[in-house]
Amino acid sequence: MKKRQVFASLFVGVAALLGILLHSTPAFAQQEAIWLPETKMVIGLEGIKGNKTGVLTVDKGTLVFKAGKEKSSIAVNTINDVVTGDDSQRALGGFAGTVTMAVPYGGGRFLSLFREKVDTVTIQYHDATGGLHGVIFTVTSGRADALKKELLDEGAKTSIPSAPADSKTEAPKQ
Amino acid sequence: MKTSRRWAGLALFVAAILIAGSFVRAEQKDQAPAQKISGSAILIEPVHSDEVKIPAEFQMAVYEHLIKELQKSGKFKNVYRDGDQGAANTPELITLRTNVTGFKHGSEEKRQVTTVSGSTSITIHCSFVDKSGNVKLERDITGKVRFLGGNLRATYDFAKKVAQVVEQSF
Repeated sequence: MKKRQVFASLFVGVAALLGILLHSTPAFAQQEAIWLPETKMVIGLEGIKGNKTGVLTVDKGTLVFKAGKEKSSIAVNTINDVVTGDDSQRALGGFAGTVTMAVPYGGGRFLSLFREKVDTVTIQYHDATGGLHGVIFTVTSGRADALKKELLDEGAKTSIPSAPADSKTEAPKQ
Repeated sequence: MKTSRRWAGLALFVAAILIAGSFVRAEQKDQAPAQKISGSAILIEPVHSDEVKIPAEFQMAVYEHLIKELQKSGKFKNVYRDGDQGAANTPELITLRTNVTGFKHGSEEKRQVTTVSGSTSITIHCSFVDKSGNVKLERDITGKVRFLGGNLRATYDFAKKVAQVVEQSF
């Protein structure tokens, strides 16, 4: 009889724990839906100089870009267009990249061949006075679509809707 | 005798050059705008691309660079963004309308490897229009990136050239 009671209480305890875990997992996920390190803000964000690299996050209806001590944010519901694209950049960029251009015997040119793919995300939004702003980010290749989806889920608009997942499946051969 | 002839010939030659130079200068003065256009504020409209399609990032980069460079020029008290409510009641407001007429998407990799190929260029027709809709100034301006920098640097080059035109004409 006692054993049954122990098992029953154990069962209830384990079930309660499982329930808490199952409910808490989405809550953790919601805390920071998108977190993109190594993001470059090319131009457009108020209060931050162009071509700064930092961390881009989308959380609770706000897009936040943080580069060192500088921080800027945009309310997602003010975004009226999100467009993604792709590009490439030198693997060795910045000042060091410029200096390597002077490497003799074509060394700089050779180093230019080492490139990394990046995705571009162009955002249009309106400020409190109604003024149109444009912001361009470059993110790690393959992350732009996830960022766009998150922004759209949180209330942003787009002129180019993402292709549905089903369209990627191959058509049956005839 | 021969020496004096030589001197006379030289004097004639110098005089001819001076006269020709003065004609050229007079012509240049005629070409320069006689009166500068007045405008206390400017409204930048978003870049249109009716005939030539350009990527969204180029469109936005042109718009943002134009705002920055025109603010830097200091020719206008206010530089308004499209849709800004403050622009409506501004006297002597000039509106800058832009339409892309040419675009060549180059390659940064090609530029850095070959030096001579892969340039990116963007040509935009710019119209400066006053409040009553009269076109005060029209120019086709081209921004290019030939060697250093990413493709979007062409938009910065374009905006710098627009700022130069504004400094000369306003």
